[in-house]
Amino acid sequence: MYPLPNHEPSSKFVEFSNLQKAYPNPYGEDFVAVENFNLNIKQGEFIGLIGHSGCGKSTVLTMLAGLNAISGGGIIVDNKEIDEPGPDRAVVFQSPCLMPWFNTYQNVMVGVKNVYPHASKKERHDIVMYALEVCGLQDSIKKHPHEMSGGQQQRVGIARAIALKPKVLLLDEPFGRLDSLTRMDLQDTILQILNKEKITTMIVTHDVDEAVFLCDRVAMMTNGPRATLGEILEVGFERPRNRKDIMNDPMFYRYIDHLVSYLMDRAHLREPAKTYDKNSLLSFTKKPGDKATHVA
Amino acid sequence: MADSGKDKFKYTLLKGIDFSGFTVFDPVVRLIFGEDPKKQLSDIGRYMVTPVIFIIGCIIIWSVMAPRHKTKSGEVPGPDRVLASYQNNKRFHERENEKQSDFNTDGAEREATLAEVQEQIITYTALAEEKAKAAALAAVEVQDTIDAKILPLQTKLDSIKEKSKEAQKLRRENISTLAEGVAANTAESSALITAIAEDKALKEKERESTKDLKTQIDEIRANPPKRLKEAQLASNKVADELQHLKKRVDFLTTGNRSEKVSSSLEAAKEATAAIPLASTGPEVLKSAKAAVRNTESAERAKEQKYPRAATVFWQAYRSIFTVIVGFLMACAVAIPVGMMCGLNRVFMACMTPIISIFRPVSPVVWLLIFQIIIGAFFPNPDEHPLFKFFNASWNPLEFLQVNPAMVFSAFTVAICAMWPALVNTALGVSSVDKDHMNVAKVLRLGFWSRLFKIIIPSSLPLMFAGLRISLGVGWMVLIAAEALSSSDGLGKFVWDEYQNGSSLSFANIILACFIVGTIGFFLDRIMIVLQKIVTFDDGSATV
Repeated sequence: MYPLPNHEPSSKFVEFSNLQKAYPNPYGEDFVAVENFNLNIKQGEFIGLIGHSGCGKSTVLTMLAGLNAISGGGIIVDNKEIDEPGPDRAVVFQSPCLMPWFNTYQNVMVGVKNVYPHASKKERHDIVMYALEVCGLQDSIKKHPHEMSGGQQQRVGIARAIALKPKVLLLDEPFGRLDSLTRMDLQDTILQILNKEKITTMIVTHDVDEAVFLCDRVAMMTNGPRATLGEILEVGFERPRNRKDIMNDPMFYRYIDHLVSYLMDRAHLREPAKTYDKNSLLSFTKKPGDKATHVA
Repeated sequence: MADSGKDKFKYTLLKGIDFSGFTVFDPVVRLIFGEDPKKQLSDIGRYMVTPVIFIIGCIIIWSVMAPRHKTKSGEVPGPDRVLASYQNNKRFHERENEKQSDFNTDGAEREATLAEVQEQIITYTALAEEKAKAAALAAVEVQDTIDAKILPLQTKLDSIKEKSKEAQKLRRENISTLAEGVAANTAESSALITAIAEDKALKEKERESTKDLKTQIDEIRANPPKRLKEAQLASNKVADELQHLKKRVDFLTTGNRSEKVSSSLEAAKEATAAIPLASTGPEVLKSAKAAVRNTESAERAKEQKYPRAATVFWQAYRSIFTVIVGFLMACAVAIPVGMMCGLNRVFMACMTPIISIFRPVSPVVWLLIFQIIIGAFFPNPDEHPLFKFFNASWNPLEFLQVNPAMVFSAFTVAICAMWPALVNTALGVSSVDKDHMNVAKVLRLGFWSRLFKIIIPSSLPLMFAGLRISLGVGWMVLIAAEALSSSDGLGKFVWDEYQNGSSLSFANIILACFIVGTIGFFLDRIMIVLQKIVTFDDGSATV
């Protein structure tokens, strides 16, 4: 593992307890999207949230961001319960959400200005320039969003989030709309940034390869409605990670296999959440429809 | 390749064309730069030549159909008449300019202009005599040909008349003998009645037979050969120009401002000089009074302005100014109120009934309301600071002669044009992209930076779409308001032409119709360009 900050990282830096999201239904019982969601995230950890479409993984993330009201239970970040959005939980949305009337620099500066109101002009400029540099945007400072490709735009979105120096970085399917080459590029960029910055990060994704490649732990959610945490997979790859090495590691495919089998076979089950590491991975026969068997 | 200077210039030009909305000219530019001439020529043929041919076709139909429709104000003017009306109005405008500058000149310049004008008068007098002679000659000649044409018809008519007169006389005698016979019981009364009825029917028949000939003769008289009309027109034109030159002489001499001032001062001086020479009290008093009066009139003359006649172009300037003032007033109300509506649902709920009720009100009603209200604000317009400001001699807008009528026209424009801008602004502000609002929430932007950095920029395209509609509505309303309220402007021009009913007025009205349309078109274009400037998504914001 990478070197730790001077104090012991809290194992409960982010804590979801009995989180529930219910939408009022005027003609009957409330529609419960997510319930009994319990999860702890360690400081500096990169956690992935995976599940079928509509299972509520984005709902969990937006509740953590504070953009979606919490119906029951609570979320604690760094010993504070959250009740509204804030720059300590920066979000990178699926669409880049850049202001088309601002150029790259201005798009990043908007947030910086607001989050560091007492910083000098020079300090702010340095923060923006640093964020742009780590995202590889040195050459696109003056460009407007419409002059850039989708991948470049998403880099600006990431730079905007990084520049806020957030406690938690939330990635809501950030690469969902990009082609696979650009996606790999951006995954590498994210990993490089996190190697330097050690920000606690949560990513919501559909893509199992991405989840395994990026995350320390992958949380799998059961199908909705009333979705909840199903299983947790601990990914044992060392950091800093190298795409080539990981691709060549047979464990990579076993992790993927485990995730896929969960999504295919067990996501509809309601069993108490279990954690798997590389020694307790389930092993599967290739025949579809076979009941999964546990091999210790 | 795209980096060469020529190509760069080409692409800038093409972008400019696209931006201003005149994409029709795109293939022309490409053709000039030699890009795929075959395609460009086919595009030009399809999108430029075809519409031009179509429009020429329309004009031909117009010129053929128009003279066939006779109205009580003359036949419907064709394109030639409208063009002539444009030239007349242009000449009228130029003459007013000349007279105005004559009125204002002084010193050596005045004398030089005067000499020039007098020279022109000499040539024009000769020309006028010549043309008048030609016209008279033409009239005589034409009279001969007309007479020659009419003569056979007239003799025919006369002979018919003679015949019928004799026949009538015979019938009358016959009837009177019959009547006597009936009285003497020697004839049947029914025979008398038949004879009277027969006589009436025959009279009618005779009248019918002459009617045809009479109309033929009238037509020949009413439509003399073209050359007479042309000669008369030419003669009139020269006479008209001569009259104008004579008027110019007036404005360069007795009517000239500096001349008026100096002659008044001269008179005052004379009167002052006469005071010591007078022997009696009343004589002294008379001279002194004259001195004072002349000095005063000199002062007044200094302030005098040339009383310009209202030309159609001046009316157009005034209309444009009025619509811009009204439009700015509409913006000043609609944009802030629209934003508040978009930001606050309670405020929106308060405004909705007001918007729904007042939006459909006819401009005519607003005009009358404002005429009453604003009329009350300016009981003495000449003394009001607003009009003093606009009509001060240093103000470049002085030539527009701002008055209360203009103010209430502008208010009418403002209140009618306000609604589309207001509704669209409210819509734009309330429908800001949810993602952008989420970003604002995460960044925890305050109200003002949220407003200025996110809400306003993202609502600008819709806002400008509304403003564009507003300006269009305002322009239509203004012309109607001017026509109704006799506030100077194109509307009043049309109304005046309608009222005075001269042979030229119909053509003038159609000319005004084209002017109104053209100005409206350009106002709309300006708004389209503005709208493109504030729309960010398609990349046009960086031209």
